[in-house]
Amino acid sequence: MAIVDDGRLAVDASTVPAEDLAAAALSLARRFGAGGTMWCVAPRWPSHARHVAVEFVHPVIVGKRALPAAFVHAATAVSAVRELARPGDVLLVVSTADDPSLDALLTRADAWGLTSVWLGAGRRGAAAEPLPRADHMVWLETGDAAVAARSGDLVMLYHLLWELTHVVFEHPGLLTEDADTSTDCADDVCITCSDEGRVAEVRALLDDGRVEVLAGGHAEQVDGRLVGDLRPGDLVLVHAGVAVTTLRGSDD
Amino acid sequence: MTNGTGGASASEPTGFLYPFIDAEESNLAALMTDLVASARSKIEDSASLRVATLTRCAEHVEVAASAMADRFRRGGRLFTFGNGGSATDAQGTAELFGLPPYGRALPAISLVEDQAVLTALSNDVGFELVFSRQIIALAKANDIAVGFSTSGDSPNMLRAFDEAARRGLLTVGLCGYEGSGMAVSDAVGHCLVVHSDSVHRIQETQDALMFALWEAVQRHLNETAVVRSA
Repeated sequence: MAIVDDGRLAVDASTVPAEDLAAAALSLARRFGAGGTMWCVAPRWPSHARHVAVEFVHPVIVGKRALPAAFVHAATAVSAVRELARPGDVLLVVSTADDPSLDALLTRADAWGLTSVWLGAGRRGAAAEPLPRADHMVWLETGDAAVAARSGDLVMLYHLLWELTHVVFEHPGLLTEDADTSTDCADDVCITCSDEGRVAEVRALLDDGRVEVLAGGHAEQVDGRLVGDLRPGDLVLVHAGVAVTTLRGSDD
Repeated sequence: MTNGTGGASASEPTGFLYPFIDAEESNLAALMTDLVASARSKIEDSASLRVATLTRCAEHVEVAASAMADRFRRGGRLFTFGNGGSATDAQGTAELFGLPPYGRALPAISLVEDQAVLTALSNDVGFELVFSRQIIALAKANDIAVGFSTSGDSPNMLRAFDEAARRGLLTVGLCGYEGSGMAVSDAVGHCLVVHSDSVHRIQETQDALMFALWEAVQRHLNETAVVRSA
């Protein structure tokens, strides 16, 4: 059979980022433990987003607790998740790297105060632009995203995410972030120790060039005169109370 | 005090004042190690079950795909169905056949797509008839019915296959475990069984079987096209 003989079936186990999966599961369990809900979006493969949601809401293993997760249509995901999600919730995206709707969603997750989890497959280099940032990226690097998406690799990824999340629940002492004493920076530069800007979404235009934005899930007022011509829904980078530049993903 | 992960605080003079913090730290590292090991072992289980199942079923997949291609050639359409996670497999299959990543698009629709139909039938005649009633309404003799069930025993699946077979549809079933209702039903013309008792591993392997079926259908249709143009 072609798919077996030519080695396309089942990605090499050593290439699956099990560490990233484990880290994502720890975050998920902590968000659920704190009352968070997971919003599931899959632009190219809606059935995968539905499958993730049903996996968490109605576990296949009797006795495992039901966790709040819901499918969201990709076409209306920006406005739907903006209204539905609360700071501390989770945005889970299942997608290839070149999907045009990724920026709009993943970048906003920061502004909305959501933890973002991106499960993907294919070639990361397929994206025309630098990849949007996600708090957790669990990536299957394969030559053919369609094969990974349809022959069990991608579904395996979120089956494992579900299972590991429930393993974390068996360790209630580790469910709070306080259990960590680490102060690792996710990126090379972090907000607390540098002058890095924060991602914000414009909510309303006020008088005197001031703008109300949402950053980290909280509303605040910033000076919008430097960038000008802002509209509600635009994404900006905010530094020291000033919107310093607009970001990709704004045109929605 | 032992600290398997080599944390420094245990050896510090004030460590005894904070045994809780020390324990939490080492537990988190140990938990992460466990999670990674558990994930790796299941990734290997998943891969080997998929390879073993597709190898064992290679001939059966070929026969089923040839029959499906024959139906498509005669204008047949594909109806897919399943419950829960298997409902999403049914949707994914309809997406794969209808909007393929490559190859030719084929007529396919899943019977879990329309909430109005699903809830109307469930509410009025019962969930057991939720797929069979749609088959009565939609199907023609050249059509194909593909159903996913990990248990192989869901009453609404068995009813759907009975109805499909009665109407002359080509019936293909994917199920797990062994000796389930679908595996012994005369109404399921081609039943591909995944030998496992893990719902997750069964679903992953069913995806792989479906992808292999789809590729084989595409190949069969292409071979026909070449013969015709020669």
